Amino acid sequence: MKFSINRDTLLPPLQQIVSVIEKKQTMQILSNILMVIEADTLTMTGTDLEIQIVSRLSVNGAQPGTTTLPARKFLDICRLLPPNTEIRIEQQGDMVKLATPRSRFSLSCLPAENYPEFAESQMENCFTISSGKLKKALDKTLFCMANQDVRYYLNGLLLHISNNALKLVASDGHRLAIYEDELETPTGLEARIIVPRKGVQELSRLLDDGDELLQVSFSSNHIRIEVHNAVFSAKLVDSKYPDFSKVFQQSFLDPIAIPKPLLREALTRVAILANEKFRGVTFHFAADLLRINAHNPEHEEAEEELTLDYGKGEFSISFNAQYMLDAVSNLDGDTAELTIASNLSSCFINEPGQQVYKFIVMPMRL
Amino acid sequence: MTAGPPLRKIIHIDMDAFYAAVEQRDNPAYRGKPIVVGGRPDSRGVVATCSYEARKFGIRSAMASSQAYRLCPQTIFIKPRFEVYKDVSAAIRRIFSNYTELFEPLSLDEAYLDVTAVSRCRGSATLLAKEIKDKIRQQTGLTASAGVSYNKFLAKIASDLNKPDGLYLITPEQGPGFAERLPVGKFHGIGKATEKKMHELGIRTGLDLKRWPLPLLVQHFGKSGQYYYDIARGIDNRPVRNFRPSKSVGVEITYPEDLTEPNLILQQLIDLMGKALARLAAKHMTAHTLTVKIKYHDFAQITRSKTLPQAITGVEGFEAILADLLKDTEVGAKKVRLLGIALSSLHSPELLHYRQTDLFILSMPSHFPD
Repeated sequence: MKFSINRDTLLPPLQQIVSVIEKKQTMQILSNILMVIEADTLTMTGTDLEIQIVSRLSVNGAQPGTTTLPARKFLDICRLLPPNTEIRIEQQGDMVKLATPRSRFSLSCLPAENYPEFAESQMENCFTISSGKLKKALDKTLFCMANQDVRYYLNGLLLHISNNALKLVASDGHRLAIYEDELETPTGLEARIIVPRKGVQELSRLLDDGDELLQVSFSSNHIRIEVHNAVFSAKLVDSKYPDFSKVFQQSFLDPIAIPKPLLREALTRVAILANEKFRGVTFHFAADLLRINAHNPEHEEAEEELTLDYGKGEFSISFNAQYMLDAVSNLDGDTAELTIASNLSSCFINEPGQQVYKFIVMPMRL
Repeated sequence: MTAGPPLRKIIHIDMDAFYAAVEQRDNPAYRGKPIVVGGRPDSRGVVATCSYEARKFGIRSAMASSQAYRLCPQTIFIKPRFEVYKDVSAAIRRIFSNYTELFEPLSLDEAYLDVTAVSRCRGSATLLAKEIKDKIRQQTGLTASAGVSYNKFLAKIASDLNKPDGLYLITPEQGPGFAERLPVGKFHGIGKATEKKMHELGIRTGLDLKRWPLPLLVQHFGKSGQYYYDIARGIDNRPVRNFRPSKSVGVEITYPEDLTEPNLILQQLIDLMGKALARLAAKHMTAHTLTVKIKYHDFAQITRSKTLPQAITGVEGFEAILADLLKDTEVGAKKVRLLGIALSSLHSPELLHYRQTDLFILSMPSHFPD
C-alpha cells in the first residue's frame, strides 16, 4: 500500500472517524483505523461496533493495499503537521511510514483481515432530507437524551417518520424535547426508530447547515446516512420508545408569555445560589409578577422579579434551573410561553402560537 | 491540672460463645460437649461459633467445618437458628436500653455502652457492668463478658481478658501499659495486611508502635497513622454511636454446590439485587453504585461494579447491566462458590426531599412508594 495526500484534505475526515473510536478498547484493533487503497481511492473506516463512519478520498500515486493504523497517533501526527503538507504514506512489512519533506514517522500496523466487519442488515426503508434540516432537528433535541439511564431506550433519540412529516423526540425522563418539520419529498413511510446517543452526537458533528440532500436508509436494526464522501451507520436501539402521550391529556392553566432574554438572565443569576447538585429554583406566579428564587444548604438565597401580564391566581412550582435554561435558550423567538398543567405536574415551553418545537419540563418537589 | 474533657466510662459487653451457648441452653444434650454452630463437616461451610469444649481441640470461628471435624470427630455440628439468636440479641439490647440510650451494637452478640452519664450503682461502671451481666443471665440464661475502661479500644481489650463470664476493668493509670504490651495484631483496626506491614517495619507491640513519631506513621499508613499513634498511647476518642450511617447494603450467598451455568448465575444475581433493594428501601435510602462479588471454587474473589448517574430504584433494566459486569469475569469458565450484590454510594433521606418528578415514572414500577 502506498499513496500520498495533502494534510488538509486528510484531516477533516480523519477527525470525524477518530471521534467514533473509543479511547478505552478491549480489542486493540478497534483503536485502529482501517485503510484501504483501491484504484486512486482511499477508504478509511472507524467503528466501535455500535456506530461506524466510512470516508472516501482521492489520493495521488496510489498502489493498492490494506492495513490498519493506530487511529489517535495517526490523527495527532497529521494534525500537528504544518498546513498544506503533502504526506507520503507507505506500508513496509508491519510498519507504515509517514513522510513529509522534513518529517518521518513509522507507525506499527495490524493486518486488515482482523478488522471486525460492521454487520449491517438489509436496508428496507429510505428517504431524503437536507443536511441542514436534519442537523437543526438533531441539535434542537439531542441535549435532552438520557445518559446511561437503565431505561436504555431513553439513551437515544426517537426518529418518527410519517410520510412527509418528521418528528424527533428526546427525553431523560426529567424533560422532553419534540421537534417537528416537513420533509422535502413524501416518503410513504410510517416508522419510529431510536438512534443511540453516541450515534446522534456523531451524526450531528458530521452534518453541516447546507442544503445538500442526504440519503437516509434504515432497517429494523440499522440506520445508514450518506454524507458527502462519508457513510455513517449505527445500530438502532432495539426497543419501543415509551409512551408520553399522557402528559398531553391533562387540563392546563392559561399560557404565560415571558420575554425570553429576561427569563434567561434571571434564571442564570438565581441558579448561582441553587443547590449545586439538584439545581432547584422556585417560580412564584402572582397577578402581574413572576418571582424566581433559590437557596442552598449554606443558607444563601437569590431572588429575581419579572413583571408579567398574567392576572390569575397565585401559585408556586419548582424546576431544575438547567432544564429550564436549556429549553428557553433553544427557542428561536424572543418570547417563551409556559403552559403549566392545572395540577402543577408538568410545564410545556414553546414559542407563542408555534407548536413544531416544544419542551416539557417536569417539576421538582423541593 | 489540665482541664481536658471529662473521662468517659465505656463498657464493652461480649456474649460468650453466643450461638453455641444458645444451642446448649436450648438442648441439654449439647451441654458439656464440643459443638459447632455452622456448616456441616461434609459441606463447604465454616464454623460460625463453637463451644468452649470445642475450643479445647483447637476449633476456632471461621475455620472450615471439615477441618473442625478432623480436629475432633465427636463434635456435634448444628445448623444456625438465626431467628432465635436475633430474639436473644433483641432481649439483650432491651437490657442495655434500660441503662443508657448510648449503646452501639457491633453484631448480634457484642455492644459498646457509654455509661459516663449514668448515675445508678453510685456511678460505678464496674458495678453497672456486673448488674448488666446478671440481668443478661437472669433473662436469657446466658453468660456475657464485660470490659470496663475509659474508651472503646481498651474496653474491648478488657472484655477479652477474663472470658467466659469475665469482668475486667482497665483504669486510666493502667491503660497506656496495656496498650504497650499488646501485640499490634490485637489492636482494633489493625488487620492482617497492616499487621504484616508493621512487622516488616519491626513494630510488634504497642510499645514498638509508641516509639514511632507521628509524621513517620502518617507517611507509612496515611490517615490511619494518627489513630495508630493514639491507640499506642491508650487514647481512643471514637464516640459510642447508637446510630451508624450505612455506607452500603449487601446480600450474599454461599451455594451448597458450585454454580457453573452463566444464565443461572445471572438469575441468582437478579434475585440477590432484589433482596438488597428491599433492605435499602427499609432504610429509606437510594444507591448509585452496584457491585457484584464473585468467589470462585478456589476461593479467589473478585468484585465488579458500576456507578450510575441516577438512583438505582428497581431491578428493571438491570439484567443487561449485570450481564455486562459478568462479561469481565471468569463466569462460565470457572465454578462459582459465592455470589453477592452490594449497593453503595447511598443517599440519605433528606436528599430525597429534592425529588425530580419523572415523565415516564407512571409506566415504570418504582421501588419507593410515594
